[in-house]
Amino acid sequence: MRESEARSIIEKVLKLSGAEDTSAVITGSYKASTRFADNAITQNITTNNYSLKVSCAYGQKVGHATTNELIDGALQGVVKRAQDIALVVPPDPEHMPLLTSDEAEKYHQLEPYFEDTKKFSPSDKARIISAQAEKCQEKGIRLSGAFSNGSSFTAFGNSKGLMGCYKSTSFEMHVTCLTPTSSGWAEQIGEDISKAGFSLVVDRAFNIAEKSKNPHDFEPRKCTIIMHPAAVAELFTFLFWEGFDAKATDEERTFLRGKFGTKIGGENITIRSDPADLRCPTISFQQDGLVAPTLKWIDNGVVQNLCYSRFWAKKKGKKPTGFPTNIIVDGGDTSVEEMIKTTDLGVLVTRFWYIRFVDPMVPSVTGMTRDGTFLIEDGKVTKAMKNMRFNENIVDVLNRVEVLSVPERTGEYIPVLAPALKVRDFNFTSATDF
Amino acid sequence: MKELCLRALDIAKEKGVSFADIRIVKHHTQIVTTEDERVSGIQDSESMGFGVRVLLNGCWGFAASKNLFRKEIEDVTLRAVEIARASSLAKMGSGVVFAPEEPHEAIFRTPVQKDPFKVPIEEKVNLLLGVNKEMLRVRGVKKAHSFMWFKSEERHLANTDGSFIESNTCTSTAECIATAVDEHTAKTRYFEAIPVNAGYEHIEGTPLLKEAQRVGEEAVAHLTAKECPQGKKDLILHPSHLALTIHESIGHALELDRVLGMEESLAGSSFATIDKLGKLKYGSPIVNIVCDNTDPTRLASKGYDDDGVPGQRWYIIKNGILVDYQTGREVCHTIGAEQSRGSCRADSWQSIPIIRQSNIGLEAGEEHLTLEELIADTKDGIYIEGMGSFSIDQKRLNFQFGGDCFWEIKNGKKTCMLKDVTYQAITTDFWGSCDAICDKRFWQPYGVLNCGKGDPMQIAQMTHGSSPVRFRNINVGGAKL
Ligand SMILES: [Zn+2]
Repeated sequence: MRESEARSIIEKVLKLSGAEDTSAVITGSYKASTRFADNAITQNITTNNYSLKVSCAYGQKVGHATTNELIDGALQGVVKRAQDIALVVPPDPEHMPLLTSDEAEKYHQLEPYFEDTKKFSPSDKARIISAQAEKCQEKGIRLSGAFSNGSSFTAFGNSKGLMGCYKSTSFEMHVTCLTPTSSGWAEQIGEDISKAGFSLVVDRAFNIAEKSKNPHDFEPRKCTIIMHPAAVAELFTFLFWEGFDAKATDEERTFLRGKFGTKIGGENITIRSDPADLRCPTISFQQDGLVAPTLKWIDNGVVQNLCYSRFWAKKKGKKPTGFPTNIIVDGGDTSVEEMIKTTDLGVLVTRFWYIRFVDPMVPSVTGMTRDGTFLIEDGKVTKAMKNMRFNENIVDVLNRVEVLSVPERTGEYIPVLAPALKVRDFNFTSATDF
Repeated sequence: MKELCLRALDIAKEKGVSFADIRIVKHHTQIVTTEDERVSGIQDSESMGFGVRVLLNGCWGFAASKNLFRKEIEDVTLRAVEIARASSLAKMGSGVVFAPEEPHEAIFRTPVQKDPFKVPIEEKVNLLLGVNKEMLRVRGVKKAHSFMWFKSEERHLANTDGSFIESNTCTSTAECIATAVDEHTAKTRYFEAIPVNAGYEHIEGTPLLKEAQRVGEEAVAHLTAKECPQGKKDLILHPSHLALTIHESIGHALELDRVLGMEESLAGSSFATIDKLGKLKYGSPIVNIVCDNTDPTRLASKGYDDDGVPGQRWYIIKNGILVDYQTGREVCHTIGAEQSRGSCRADSWQSIPIIRQSNIGLEAGEEHLTLEELIADTKDGIYIEGMGSFSIDQKRLNFQFGGDCFWEIKNGKKTCMLKDVTYQAITTDFWGSCDAICDKRFWQPYGVLNCGKGDPMQIAQMTHGSSPVRFRNINVGGAKL
């Protein structure tokens, strides 16, 4: 969809609506995903969808409706559904007046859109995958993973004249190499397909799989851990699930209650958001048109900002921040190799798997290591280890970080830039059989 | 619809496919959420489109579009064929072996007495706000949330077997959550109208208002409950909790695509490999696990799966032994099965069908046994209700689960509430320790709404049932920091 088409649909919706306040968001994507397992393509899909969400308000009474039919005749239907809901619900005291057109001046003008990324075809990908699959087959390795590319689009408009539009392309490749006794994993995520290096990703996964063959048992205990960026991202994302929500925190329902402005982590910990950071660019406005936050959540260990919705900000006399659209964990300059050299006894972790809260108020989590876990002894990686379960307090981890590497692009649910970390006394609690 | 479907199949056949199908799907969802005295959101969403899947020279192609008209159907079908050609560049041996299936013409409908989409919003809002009010009346409850969730699916499935299947399913659920806060922490407790395939009559038949006060009181009691002990305890698990344990430690482990390594790069694989079929002691001899996609009220039932295979009922664990898997037409030959078990589902018109969990349940015990009798027979244990924290490794062996509410059992009596209980085990040890199952009067199904699998991620629903069950000597409290 072109920006002009989206604008025209939004304008039609605003015209059709009889509500006092109306806003509309169009989100859409084209996605082509090729999946493979056991050195062969197992799934190959392309799909295209756009949906329109209309919000209508009469005073404080609000209704929302969504459709993926964007033809003229259907627009009336979705507007009516939103209006009908708004007319019968009780007023929402938290509903805020619409933002006006000057909010758009705060949006970044970044457009990480690369036509070649979108155009990269299923056969382009199949050829690349096939070459790597043959290489793996010869070496007795089973290659699995996915290689996807596509584009996405968001346009926002409201009856106060505020409009915003963002489009981007993305590619993602993640692969697992399997030997009979081990696995190795690697990924690359980006916007510009010309920067993609599928064979390098496969080589990384392959090397991890080779090195982690015939894993040993290890008595679970507290010990030093060196986590690669994917593991760090997986763990730290849990800080943001509800933890930084200002309302929930003020209502004493999050682990940050009473901690605003206090030091919760080491001085080497700074976590922030910046949608315009070219290393992990993302959309600069939220569903209500509010500019997405560019600020530090944790600054040198101190809780510097919480996420304020427009309503809660007004109530508390604060500036609205909205919610993060990306997460950047500032890094340092210690390479993983150097981290290993300075470790007497430790565990090197490629990534985590299935992290869940145990108690979000602590905040404690549990999870498993996956796809390449190694023992470090006297400054060297000495052997592969079977995977382990950990139980940890994430805030406590922020106080045990000894050194950080240069951050890298990763993130499963939200774009994340994270360094590798060396953390002391990481709490491994049980083991598994592989 | 039929004509549009046939057009896609004709084009695919002209291009020489060995199999093709088209699914035209319309989803309607409505979510009403409330917080304390306010309605925090009402979202009414519709999504419609179609997906064409083709198997050409043993390789898959799939394309989908929301634009449901003849020309687009033709283009999308040709695109699917093109993609299948691309897939053949990285092919294993002779490619996919797709099990044959009889042609079926059928219409399947969830029995619905009261269409939830026709029930006035005011009625839903009033009920939820009433429930919140009841929870907030309890001293110590500082926050009340509740929601209703309805989803209907209209599906037309046609394939080159000659099948033409129409289904209309409808899922309804509601839930309330009380949060109690004191000077140290916050704790929650929930109650739900268990997700089932039914209409609004299911919400009306659930005592949400009546239970709200108890939910609030238990949230408050949780704040000052005794710490979880550490060590070995007997566990008595209520069906509202065991549903998730079954889901994670049996359901996912016995999806045949995972077992074969097809999910390796994302959700993972399984320890229960096919060389163990018929041999692996998965649990104690009283453990019988049945898949049942024939009961229309359960969430995985839609008459026929998205491979066009009828819903079935079969054992995957019989007398504690692994005897079968959840299969689809692409993989069933690997265990020597001629017909698929019909466990392939796609979560939308945009998604490709993959093996999803069936309605998997633990059969009730044969001997007369109530929950009270089971507790009375337990010296040193913990009783758990509801779902909480859950984590399991990617081969489904080492797991750690929490729950929603916990009570200590001492010398045959429920003595006091506990907090922060977790238990950790290896799957086969855990099911091997199962020594008592209450009888069928206490068997209850629980629906799971958000099961993620696949890449791109798909979200599926299914139902897991059981009676209260006892497990002996399980490690508890390992999560304590
Ligand atoms: Zn699941």
